[in-house]
Amino acid sequence: MITRFITDVRVKFNPFSPRSKPARIFLSLIPPSARAEGMKIESKILPRASKEPSTLALKFKDGKEMNLELDKMRIPEVMEQVNRHSRILARKEELSGN
Amino acid sequence: MPPRIRIRPRALRLRTSHSFSPINHTYASLATATTPAPPIDQTIRSAAPVLRYPANQPPSHKPPEVRKTQLHRQYQSLLRSSPLILLFQHNNLKAVEWMSIRRELAIALNKVDAEREKNGQELFANDIKLQVIQTGIFGSALRVVEFYNPEETLLDHAQHPTDPRTATSAQIPQTSNKPEDTRFKHGLSREAWEVASNKKLKHELEPLLSGPLAVLSFPSVSPEHLKSALSILAPSSDFPAPKRKTNPDLYEPAVQGGLQKLMLLGARVEGKVFDQDGVKWVGGIAGGIDGLRAQLVAALQGAGASLASTLEGASRSLYFTMESRRLDMEETEKGDKKE
Repeated sequence: MITRFITDVRVKFNPFSPRSKPARIFLSLIPPSARAEGMKIESKILPRASKEPSTLALKFKDGKEMNLELDKMRIPEVMEQVNRHSRILARKEELSGN
Repeated sequence: MPPRIRIRPRALRLRTSHSFSPINHTYASLATATTPAPPIDQTIRSAAPVLRYPANQPPSHKPPEVRKTQLHRQYQSLLRSSPLILLFQHNNLKAVEWMSIRRELAIALNKVDAEREKNGQELFANDIKLQVIQTGIFGSALRVVEFYNPEETLLDHAQHPTDPRTATSAQIPQTSNKPEDTRFKHGLSREAWEVASNKKLKHELEPLLSGPLAVLSFPSVSPEHLKSALSILAPSSDFPAPKRKTNPDLYEPAVQGGLQKLMLLGARVEGKVFDQDGVKWVGGIAGGIDGLRAQLVAALQGAGASLASTLEGASRSLYFTMESRRLDMEETEKGDKKE
């Protein structure tokens, strides 16, 4: 997963629901030095009884915001969605020659 | 002093060499073979049973030399021996971060132990370990621990020492050396595997067991240790982290960077599953098990007093009702007489 262009991650999930798996795996895909390089990560763990769906809110460097309902997705789909936008940004960066 | 006898080795040697005559020599091939009859003891009684495997390594379902099998056994013993286990998710922690978190945790737990030592209580800061686990194997071990409860032990099949057929008093299970033997009851046996691989059995902790996990295991449910561990690993308003002035090492970037990536998911306390709030509740029990006992005693004393008062109250109120009824009846009687 390309995480270079993500500036802000907000995850909310209930670990006791089997639907929270993509949210947790998404967090584990973020590289170890991401926080040190300025990515903001907020993860909220819901109590066990809550029925709230797990959500993921992302912000990219160009200001695009992405809200994903994680409980209907699997982790490859999530990665696909995130990478689609990250690749566009990567292409732009490459063309501008930075 | 006894008389000294001189030993003359040369003379001795001469005599022996003389008695050694070539006539006594025979060839082994010419000798008639006579097999001695077996001792009568062996023909009456059975031979002593022999254990076909090391007593602490009964045959396992999966090959025992594989790391997976050994981890499975290790996790089973971890689950059985530690009543309080905290589950964390770790998101790509670096080795330095792990090291510094473990260091801070050990320092905090040792502080708790130092206080307990003054009161003469049990110490177990050294046994509280934060370790990364293989999630799948841990899940499988959890299923074995939860769902596989063999009642009889292997020795039920052993020959009893007072049995006349037994030639030794050693109790040895009469099992073969094959994992297919259904009499094996250990955690790695084939039977345990079959019970644990039943898909219909669901455990509450199972949704937690995915992704990278680490466990913090306590050898006893000790709210004091839990409290200090939580204040380091998952600080919150109930369990605030020690201040920067008292514990500057905790605020090093390696520690704080690591703690941001460590998420408390839940806990298993004496076989029951708790979420974060449950963990905080367990950590908030004041005074540990002794404190709980004191609370219980106080509650029972209070209950006794209130019970006595309610019982008294019932008799009192009964008296009042009877009295009022009597008065009432007297009045009506008087009324009747007047009319």
